[in-house]
This record gives sequence, C-alpha cells and structure tokens, in this order.
Amino acid sequence: MKRVLIALSLGASLLLAACGGSSVGVTNPSTGAPLITPPAAQLTGAGATFPAPFIDAARFAYNKKFSQVTVNYGGGGSGAGISQLTKKVVDFGASDVPLKASEAAAMGGSDKVIQIASTLGTESLAYNLDGVADGRLKLTPNTIAGIFLGKITKWNDPALVADNSGVSLPNQDIRVVHRSDGSGTTYIFTDYLSNVSADWKAKTGGPGKSISWPVGDGAQGNAGVATRITQTPGAIGYVELAYVLQTKMKQALLKNRDGNFVIPSAAGATSAAKAFAGSTPSNFSIVNAPGKDSAPISGYSWIIVYKDQADKTKGTALVDFLYWLVTPEGQQYAVNLHYAALPSDMVSFDTAALKTVTSGGSALLSVS
Amino acid sequence: MSMGTAERVAPPPLAGTSRRRRLISGDRVFEVIAYGAAALILLIAVVFVIALFIPALPAITKFGLGFFVSRTWDPVRTQFGALPAIYGTLLTSAIALVIAFPIGLGAALFLAEDARLRFLRGPLSFAIELLAGIPSVVIGLWAFFVLTPLMRDNVDPFLSHTLGFLPFFQGNASGYGFLTAGVVLAIMVLPIMIALSRDVIRAVPRALREASLALGATNAETIWAVILPYARVGITGAVLLSLGRALGETIAVTMVIGNRPEISTSLFASGYTLPSVIANEFTEAVGDVYLGSLFYLGVVLVLITIAVNVVARLLVWRFAASETPAP
Repeated sequence: MKRVLIALSLGASLLLAACGGSSVGVTNPSTGAPLITPPAAQLTGAGATFPAPFIDAARFAYNKKFSQVTVNYGGGGSGAGISQLTKKVVDFGASDVPLKASEAAAMGGSDKVIQIASTLGTESLAYNLDGVADGRLKLTPNTIAGIFLGKITKWNDPALVADNSGVSLPNQDIRVVHRSDGSGTTYIFTDYLSNVSADWKAKTGGPGKSISWPVGDGAQGNAGVATRITQTPGAIGYVELAYVLQTKMKQALLKNRDGNFVIPSAAGATSAAKAFAGSTPSNFSIVNAPGKDSAPISGYSWIIVYKDQADKTKGTALVDFLYWLVTPEGQQYAVNLHYAALPSDMVSFDTAALKTVTSGGSALLSVS
Repeated sequence: MSMGTAERVAPPPLAGTSRRRRLISGDRVFEVIAYGAAALILLIAVVFVIALFIPALPAITKFGLGFFVSRTWDPVRTQFGALPAIYGTLLTSAIALVIAFPIGLGAALFLAEDARLRFLRGPLSFAIELLAGIPSVVIGLWAFFVLTPLMRDNVDPFLSHTLGFLPFFQGNASGYGFLTAGVVLAIMVLPIMIALSRDVIRAVPRALREASLALGATNAETIWAVILPYARVGITGAVLLSLGRALGETIAVTMVIGNRPEISTSLFASGYTLPSVIANEFTEAVGDVYLGSLFYLGVVLVLITIAVNVVARLLVWRFAASETPAP
C-alpha cells in the first residue's frame, strides 16, 4: 500500500519536474538522439506484482511525455500475466520468472515471444528481536538455510551465537514467516536457498513461487509478511527491500559469496547482476553472486511480448514504450522505488530482443 | 396496447369473460417468468458445478480420490492433497460453533423472552446488526492486529495453564492458528445465529408459554422444558446456516490461521482451510495440475457444503416428523 502511494507521489513529482524544466529531456540517453515518438495507442499489460509499483510509475510518466499513448497495467500475479498473454487479452505480460517450456509452448513456442528484463530487485531478511538493533544480526547461508529448514529453532542456537559475537541473542523461539501467496519474491528466495544448501534443495525440490515449507507460517503479500514480523516477537522472514526500508524494519547483514556481510541494497543488486553479466531468460538466476558488495538474494523481473504483432501501430507503440522502459530514461523510476537500474549489458540484450519484434515482416523498433 | 390506454381512461364494466381472459393471460405471463426464474437458478447451479469440475479434471485424473486423504501440498513437485485443508476447514468451523452456540442462544433468549433488563434490548439488537454488517476483511484486520496478540499473550497461555492436560491446548502458541481462526469465525456467525434463533423462539405460541407458567413452572423451566424443545428445529437450522457461513469464510480466516498445510491436534497450531488455499495460491498457480488442484479444492468445498445441507434437511425433517402435533 505504502509502495503504491510512493509510486504515485513519485510520478507526480516527476511530472512536476518534467513540466518545470529541462531536467528530464526527451532524448535518448545512450545516443543523445531525440527519443522516438510513438504512435497513438492504448496498451494493456498484466502480471507480476513485484514490478507493479515501478511499471505504474513509469507508465504514468510515459503518458505525460507522450499523451497519445496510454498504458494500463493490471497486476494479478505472474500466473495471470502469462495466461492472459497466452489468450492474447493483453499486449504484454510480466512475470518474475521467465516462461517455462510448457508455458512458451502454449504461446506457440519460445521463438514466438521475446522476454526482456524490466527491473532488478533484491530481498532482505527482516527480524523482530528485542535488544538486537537494525543491521546487527549477522546471517550466513548456513544459518539462513538452518532457520528455514527448521533445524535452528532458537535465537541463541550455537550456530547463530558463533556468527554474532558481541550481540546478546535471547533464548527465544524463532518464528519463521513466509509468503502464503505464490510470488516471485518466494521464487528468488527459494532459488537462493537451493543454491546455498543441498539439504534445502533435496527437501523442498528446488525453487518455486509457492513451495512446501518445512517450517513457519504464511502471510499474504510483502506487506502481510512485513506486518506479521513487526507484530510477532522472535519472527524472521524474507521481504522485498523496498518494504523493509519503508516500514523501517530491522534487517540482517547477509554473508555473500565473497564472505562479506552486506546490508541488501539496490547497489548490491547491481553488483550481483554485474557478476552474472550475460544473463538471459533461460539463464536468469543471479542469487548468491560473487563480488564484494553483491546482495545475495537478488533477481530480475521479466516482461513477455509476442514477436509478431498483428496491429502495426499498436505494436510500434508497444516496443517504443518497452524500449523507453528498459533504457535509463525509464529505469530512473525504478531506482527511486529501491529497485536497481538494469545493467548496460541487460539493456543491450533487451534492445536486441525488442528489435526482433515485427509486424507484417518489418521490424517495429527504429533505433540504430 | 391501444385497448389498455382506452381502459385507463374509462374502465368498462366488469363483463366477466374479458376480464377473466386478461387475468388468465396475465397469469400465464407470470407463470412463464416464474418458471424461467426457477429454471435459471437451476441452470446457474449446473453451469457452476460444471465450470468448477472441468478445470479440476487434470487434478482429478491425476490424484483421484487419494486427493481427499493426502497430506502433501507441494507445488514444486506438483503433489497435492486436500486433507490438511479439509481438516482445518472442519475444525475451525467446529470451534466457531462451540463458541457461538451457547452465546448466540443465550442472547437470542434474552432478546425474545421477557427479561428484567429490557432497556438493553435496543442496544443489543443494534450491536448485532452492526456486527452483521461489518465486512469480513475488516474483521480480519481487527483480528490480525488486535486478536492475535491478545490470544498469544493472554488467552492461549491461560488455556494451556488451566486445560493444558488436554492435547488441544498444548504446544507453543504464536497467536495464529486454529483457535484464533475459530474465534474470528464465531464472531462472524454470531449475528446469524442470534437473529435466526430469536425469530424462532419468538414464534413459539404464547399459549404454550402461558400454559407452562400457569402450571407453576418458573421462567427457566419454561424455557428449558417448553420453548427450547419446540424451537429445536429452527435452532438446528440456525446452527447449520451458521456452519455454512463458517465453512466458506475466506479472507478473515486467511489472515489469522497461519496458512500452513498441516494437521495438528493442538488448537494453537497453524493450519489451513480450503478457501484460504484457493485465495492464496490462485494468482500464481501455473500449470494444469496445480490450477486443477485448486479447483478440486473448490469441488471438495462444494461437496462439504452440500453434505451439510443434506444433513440439515434430514435433521429438520426428522424433528418435524416427530413433532407433528396430534390433531
């Protein structure tokens, strides 16, 4: 809820900036050339809620810039995005996880669609523990997996105490909170756990948007998990970074692959993405990334469109909008919402993919 | 049409036949509308069941009846079973009725019978209507923020301290779980329970009451020996309608039950209910079997509701049959 409000106010303030001065110029940031003016069209998208605040802020700003284009985005979840795109009810679908082979097949095959990264985010482990201040609790891949496997059940478990010298951990039950609704946030977190713990992978079968949890209670949405943690003494759970920052929850230092304890941040997500430069929809996982600042629980969110657009005008407006969205011009709206800007290699990947979108055989995106 | 206009100006004298004919044709129109409406309801019910059944087919063919007894709910390995959710649904509804029945019946008696504190009736009736009008999501929010800490810090420790020898009140209380969900449901079904029971009790013939009092029975004896037996059928109906409401309640329960597909004797433990699973997982359920399993849960819920209704009918029918007054 807060996030939506922030998205709206952000949109409004950027609108003011756009009206007031030349700070947001209509130029292509990478080439300095004027941005392509899209044809008049109404675009509709649906899908993941993880990037929804960003897409909302961006579509609002785009409409201010190019009033002939209206973009609507209904959340509904990745599943809804994929099924509505399959039925061609919407022009683009958003999903936190790229299409599975069976899903792509339902759309006519993986060569009939393009999947582009729209934004990059990271997750925190938030906790509610009296006497342990924000950023004091240190967690390692081992202890995180132990807690979420139900092997570490007390806050003063020797494994936790060993990592946290100087912090007095109480003899209190650990109450694990996870998402009860299927979500990309869960996918990225369980992808991380499967990556760092063979036990976890064997027990749960690997990453999923919704899984069979060995321990803990479910709460709905990032906001639900965040509230539940704030309310319950001894609770811990994974929450998207923006929620942690906005609700001022306590979050743990996470040990990354290089052995450094880092506080998850957008910069940490960028570092993780750089470590996995060359990520593609079929090779998209960037959890537990090397790099001294890398935030370990990071991931991309994806947008899917058909390669062949029946309506040329609409298709042109669609690729123009998406091109704007993934380039720095659009990405600034992500940064302000605590997502990280897409790294340049991913922008190039997205651009190249957008160039393959055609209508009647001719490419729709006119950038060099 | 033109005839109608003319008639409005000057109605002809009742000639018998024409008037009757008009009445008959009016009857016919009404008949068609009524049959149409009835048929439409049936049609909606049938379409509804089919619409639920078809998407559930992939799960039905894969899991069959084993779905009802399997405890696994694993979207990653696409293994699904409904038992924990069935258990949670039935248990929370049962808790709700155990709490709401005595309170509801007491309040209904107070409202329907002559009582000393009559001036309380107005406010009480108003409070009940108010309670009935609160949207369930608001009750859920209240439960999430107010009831769960209260249960965790006060009610649950008290219960485990006093009744801890029973398996139902053992274990670690987090404030979320079957008991809290049951309490929330009890609050939600109370208005139905009270309003229906009150009306049933009021419908007990005055003559019976007065006869009992005239025979020297006290107020309490009259209620116990005359009014409650007479109103039994209606009260049973009230309980079963409340049960129907409790079985299907979704959002408020989802917020406090803990959403954990597990079966546990302790009422402090977290669980899951059929509607909660559907509400939680529907948006991101990808794949025929996963989505089908959610629809299958819907089928299970409909079956349970039908079973409750059938039992209600049978009970009411039996009571009614055994209590037909002698001519």
